[in-house]
Amino acid sequence: MYSSNKKLKQFAHPAEEEFAKILDFYGIEWVYEPRTFPLEFDEQGNILEAFTPDFYLPQQDLYVELTTLKTTLATHKNRKMRRMKELYPDINIKLFKRREMNNLMVKYGLDRSGDSTLNTNNQAE
Amino acid sequence: MEHIRVITISRQLGSLGWEIASATASNLGFQFYWREVLNKAAQRSSSPEAALAAIDELGLLGICPSPKICLAYRQAIEQVMFELANIGNVVILGRAGQAVLRNRRDALHIRLVSSIQTRAERISCRHNISLESALAQIEASDRYRRNYLKRHYQVCWDDPTLYDLTISTERLSIESAVAIISQAAGNTQELPETTHQAPQE
Repeated sequence: MYSSNKKLKQFAHPAEEEFAKILDFYGIEWVYEPRTFPLEFDEQGNILEAFTPDFYLPQQDLYVELTTLKTTLATHKNRKMRRMKELYPDINIKLFKRREMNNLMVKYGLDRSGDSTLNTNNQAE
Repeated sequence: MEHIRVITISRQLGSLGWEIASATASNLGFQFYWREVLNKAAQRSSSPEAALAAIDELGLLGICPSPKICLAYRQAIEQVMFELANIGNVVILGRAGQAVLRNRRDALHIRLVSSIQTRAERISCRHNISLESALAQIEASDRYRRNYLKRHYQVCWDDPTLYDLTISTERLSIESAVAIISQAAGNTQELPETTHQAPQE
């Protein structure tokens, strides 16, 4: 699902919606959770563990996983990222540690959801 | 006489740069390159996050690629630009084209400017945000673009000698700006290799 349909999507976390809004602001195409990567299998080949990156950016051919700065969560995601790179070395994936962006978004007028700030492209100017 | 085969356009946020660059390319039958330069460079240098960092001039994504990745990415951008310039008949928007291609004799370097008030009003209207927010965006964008030129090419963004033509879009329409650039592109002669000796002034 690309940014033009963004308003139809329910995000799992507010940080994801904020991130999508920033991508829209910059005119970066994105897809939300488009693919799940199996990470661990049992002896019968059943999937025991999988990883679904939050976003895929087709223009950059990059998967993005967002994480907070909480150590426990970051450690867990870092482990999955390492496993991802072992199993899928040709997949570009980046873990973004999200800082608190609210102040900056308010400053630049990106804080209002569902308005015409979405789906615009600031750098086109 | 050799006609201009490459046009680089440097613009301030809110100076109608994208509109004028794309319309100029269309008018001249040139190919227009903007984000494509970033994305090609990202693929070539295997550094997609560097492309995001380059796009993120307001610092909202919080990406900080390593210096090594940044250097590889910038070199890839320059390589892509040179290749596009060699193909010819291209308009390249942004990415310090005026500095990267400054020694090319078949390149015309354009700068687009407007007053900060006009730019803020355009951004405010375009994004439906307050003038204050628009001004904040403009200040951040100007700072980013100025620093990029300074840090990587040791030149001042505002140095008029970087440009063959600076156009204020304060009152000129997009069509007028396109006509001026097109005329300059059609009438600019390649300079001979020898240094021009201007009479003493």
